[in-house]
Amino acid sequence: MTEPNTTHSNETRELISFRVVEQEYCVDIMAVREIRGWSPATTLPQSPSYMRGVINLRGAVLPIMDLACRIGMPTTEPNVRSVFIVVQAGDRTVGLLVDAVSDILSITDDMCQPTPDIACENVRHFVKGIISIEGRMISEISLDRLLPEREALAA
Amino acid sequence: MDELEAIKVTFFQECEELLADLEGGLLAIQDGNDDGDTVNAVFRAVHSIKGGAGAFGLEPLVRFAHVFETLLDALRSNEIPGTPDLTALLLRASDVLADHVSSARGLGVVDMDASAAMAAELKIATDPNAAPAAPAPVAAAPVEEAPQYVDAAPIVIGADDGMDDDDLGFDFQPMTITLDAQAADAAVLDDNVWTVSIRPKSDLYRKANETALLLRELSRLGPIQATLDDSAMPALEFLDAEAAYVTWSVRVETDQGEEAIREVFEFVDGDCDLEITRGEAPVADVLATLLDVTAPAPEPEPELEAAPVLIEAPVEEPVMAAPVVEIAEVAPAPAPAPISAPAPATPPVAANAPAAPAEKGGAKPAQIDVPGPGQSVIRVDPERIDHLIDLVGELVINQAMLAQRVGEYGIAPSSNLAMGLDELEQLTRQIQDSVMAIRAQPVKSVFQRMPRLVREVANMTGKQARLVMDGENTEVDKTVIERLADPITHMLRNAIDHGLESPEERKAAGKNPEGVVRLAALHRSGRIVIEVQDDGKGINRERVLSIAVNKGLISPDLTLTDEEIDNLIFLPGFSTADKISDVSGRGVGMDVVKRSVQALGGRISISSRPGLGSTFTLSLPLTLAVLDGMVVDVAGETLVIPLACIVESLRPKLEEIRPLGPTGSVLAVRDSFVPLIDVGLTLNYRSKSPSATEGVVLLVEGEDGSRAALVADAIHGQRQVVIKSLEQNYQQVEGVAAATILGDGRVALILDVDAVINLRRRSPPPVVDPTLIAAE
Repeated sequence: MTEPNTTHSNETRELISFRVVEQEYCVDIMAVREIRGWSPATTLPQSPSYMRGVINLRGAVLPIMDLACRIGMPTTEPNVRSVFIVVQAGDRTVGLLVDAVSDILSITDDMCQPTPDIACENVRHFVKGIISIEGRMISEISLDRLLPEREALAA
Repeated sequence: MDELEAIKVTFFQECEELLADLEGGLLAIQDGNDDGDTVNAVFRAVHSIKGGAGAFGLEPLVRFAHVFETLLDALRSNEIPGTPDLTALLLRASDVLADHVSSARGLGVVDMDASAAMAAELKIATDPNAAPAAPAPVAAAPVEEAPQYVDAAPIVIGADDGMDDDDLGFDFQPMTITLDAQAADAAVLDDNVWTVSIRPKSDLYRKANETALLLRELSRLGPIQATLDDSAMPALEFLDAEAAYVTWSVRVETDQGEEAIREVFEFVDGDCDLEITRGEAPVADVLATLLDVTAPAPEPEPELEAAPVLIEAPVEEPVMAAPVVEIAEVAPAPAPAPISAPAPATPPVAANAPAAPAEKGGAKPAQIDVPGPGQSVIRVDPERIDHLIDLVGELVINQAMLAQRVGEYGIAPSSNLAMGLDELEQLTRQIQDSVMAIRAQPVKSVFQRMPRLVREVANMTGKQARLVMDGENTEVDKTVIERLADPITHMLRNAIDHGLESPEERKAAGKNPEGVVRLAALHRSGRIVIEVQDDGKGINRERVLSIAVNKGLISPDLTLTDEEIDNLIFLPGFSTADKISDVSGRGVGMDVVKRSVQALGGRISISSRPGLGSTFTLSLPLTLAVLDGMVVDVAGETLVIPLACIVESLRPKLEEIRPLGPTGSVLAVRDSFVPLIDVGLTLNYRSKSPSATEGVVLLVEGEDGSRAALVADAIHGQRQVVIKSLEQNYQQVEGVAAATILGDGRVALILDVDAVINLRRRSPPPVVDPTLIAAE
C-alpha cells in the first residue's frame, strides 16, 4: 500500500478512490483509518439491508456497510478479494464494503464539480461532488450522510 | 496554562472530598459525636477549601469560606457553645459552600443573595455582640527568626525593591523613619487610619510577587503613606540577592475595614509577615513584634497561625495543618526551602480521612495531614483504566482463541503446551479480576450527596426527615456508580415527598414527627442491591388505582393484586402528586427511574405496607463491563443470553407444547403456560420456526416478571463475556442489548430479553405452515 502523503496545502487534497460496481468513488484520505480484507460479519437483526453486520476490529465492534447497496445499487457479494475501508464519520467508525481500492489521488478544488442535476435522489444525497481526473470520473462520498441517524428506540 | 487547569481539576476533586468530610463531620456532630477532633476536621476542611480557592483567586468562594471558617474557629476554641441550632446553621452553610465550589467550577450559579444572607447569619453566630471591627482570624504567617538582620549595618537603597515607579498608582518617596515622628503622628488617631506593616519573606519574591503591587493594591483603598525600613539591610558584600531584608510600614486611610486590607494580602498569605493595626501604631512596636520572636505577639487577636501558635503548636494545637508546614519553613537559614504556599500544599488527603472521626487515634497533627507511605493514593484518569480493561478483554479473547486452536490441533491435555495454556488462562482471569477491582469503588461517593438532598427536600415539603445510611462502603464498579445517582436521588425525593407524612399527621398517627428514610447498599448474589425505605404512610392503593384508571393507563374493570397496584406507579405518565410541587412533577416519573435502572441491566421492586411505609429495592449488576451469559446457537448465529434472566433451560417434550390461536404456541411448565418465542424468527434470522422439540428452551424472566420460553437451536455453555457497545459505532438495535467478542474473534450479539418478549408481543409471527404447528 502506498504511504499516504501527509503534506497538505490549502488547495491540494488527497483522496482514496475505490471501485463499487464498476464505478469509481472516493473519500477524503483524512477520514480513512485503514483498509482491510473481507472477513465474515455477524448479522445484525432488524437492520437495513445495507448493513452487512458487525465485525471485531481489535476489540471494537465495527459495523460494516455495503456501499453499493447504501447508494441504491444491488448488494455486493463479498469474495476473498473484497475489501472494506475503515472510515471515521463523525464520532463513529464504520467499515465500507467496496469491490477494490484503486489509488490515491491528489486533487485541487478546481477539479471538483457539483453533482450533475440529472442524478437520482440517492446520488444527490450521498455524493458530495464529482472529480474529473485523467479522463476518469470519480464521485466523492459524503461520509456523514452514510450512517443512519441514531434513533432512540423504544425499549 | 494546561498545567494550571490540571491543578485546578485536582483542587476541585479535593474540594468534593473535603465537602463530603465537612458534611460528614457536621452530621456526626448533629448525631452527638461532638468530640474536638470532629470539629477540628470540619474546620480543616473549610480551611483547606479556602486555601486552595485563594490560590486560584476564586474570590466569592474565599470570602464565604472565610466567614464560615471564622465561626468554626470560634466553635472549636469554645468561644461559642455548640447547639443543635448552630449545627443546623453549619449544615446549611456547608450547602452554600458546596454551591460556591460548584459555581467556581462552572457548574451552576450561586445565589449571591442567599450566600450573603448566610454569611451574615454566620457572622452573627460568630459574635452575637458584633463588635464593629471583630478581628478576623486570618492566617498570618509565623514570624521568621532573623537575628542576623538586626545588627547589620544599614545602607540606604532608594526606590529599589525591583519596582518601577511608572506603573504604580501612587507616588513613592523613600524616607528614613524617625520613630519620634511616627509617635507624634500617632496622636492623631483616626478610625479610618490603619497601619499595615509588611515584611516580605524571600519566598514572596521567589513566587514573583512584589511589594510594589501590594502597595498599589493598598492605595486603591485610600491614600497611603509608605515607609521603608531598610535597617536590616546588610552591607553590600553580605547581601544575598535573593533574600528579603526590608520592612514596609504603610499608613492607610480607608473607610473600609480590616477585611479589605487583608484581602490585598490574600495571595501572599504566609509569604510575608503582616501586621494590621487600627490607628497609627508606632513603628517601633511593630518592629518589635516582627523581630522579636521570643515575645508573644502583643495582639489579643485570635490569629490562628500567628506566632503564639508556632510556639505552642506541639503542645496545645493538635490540628492545624498549615503551621506544621510552616515550622519546617522557619529554618534558621534566611532562604527557606522553596515550598509552595502553605494552604494549598497541605489539604488533608482524602484517603486518610474516610470519616471525619478517623483521626481519633491521638496521632500528632503532622501525621494526620501528611500522607504516610502506606496511605498514598494515586489519581488516575478513568480513561486509562477503561483502556486497560479493554486490553484485558482482548487478552481474554486471545487466550480463548489460542486454546481453541490448540484444541483443534489435537494436542494432548497433559502436554506442556496445554498445561501452559491452562496457566495462562488462570493468569488471565486473575488479571481480569484485578483490573475490574481497580474500578470498584464504594458507593459512598453517591451516598454522600444524599444528606443534603434530604435536608433540602424536607425543607421544601415541610416534612421532618432523618436519613440513615447503611453499607456506604459496599463496592461497585465505577460505571455503575455513576449511574446510580439519579435513580437514588429520585427515590429519596419520592420517599420524602410522597412517602412521609407531615409532622402533624405523624403525631396524629402516634409516630415520631421526624420520619426516617433509610438508604442502604449491600451485595446479594453477585449483584448490588440498593434499598430506599421510609417509615411513612405507604402507598395509597385506592388512589393509585383510581389515578391509573382516570389517566386511562389501565382498564377500570381489572382486578389487581396489591403488588400489581404498587407497580402501577412505574407506568409512564403516572403521577400521584395532587399538585405539581417543587419536588415532584418535574416530568421525571418512576417510569424514568425504572427505565434507567433497566438500561443498567437492573430491576426495581416495591413493597409497601399501609401506615408503615414503603421500600424500593434496586438490584443492579456489579459491573457494566462483563456479563455472565449463556452462549447459544440460533439459525447459524451465535447469541449470548444474560444469565441473570434465565430461570432454567430444558428440552421440551412434544406433549408440553400446545398451539394457541393461529400462530402462537405455549409451553406447559409445571402447570403454568408460558409463551413460546423462537428467537431466530423474532430477530428475522429465519422466516419459519423449526419444531421446538428439536431445539432447546430457555425459560427466561423479563424485568416486569413476565416469563417466556425462548427457543434456541443449541446451547454452547456458560461464559463470562466482555460487553462491547453497539451504539458507539452504530446505533441501538431492537432486541439486542450489546455485543461481545467470542473466543474465535467473531462478534456475538447479547440478547435483550425484554425487548425480544416485547417484540413478539407487538408483532405476532406470521401464520406459518399449519401442519408445523400441528406437528408441535
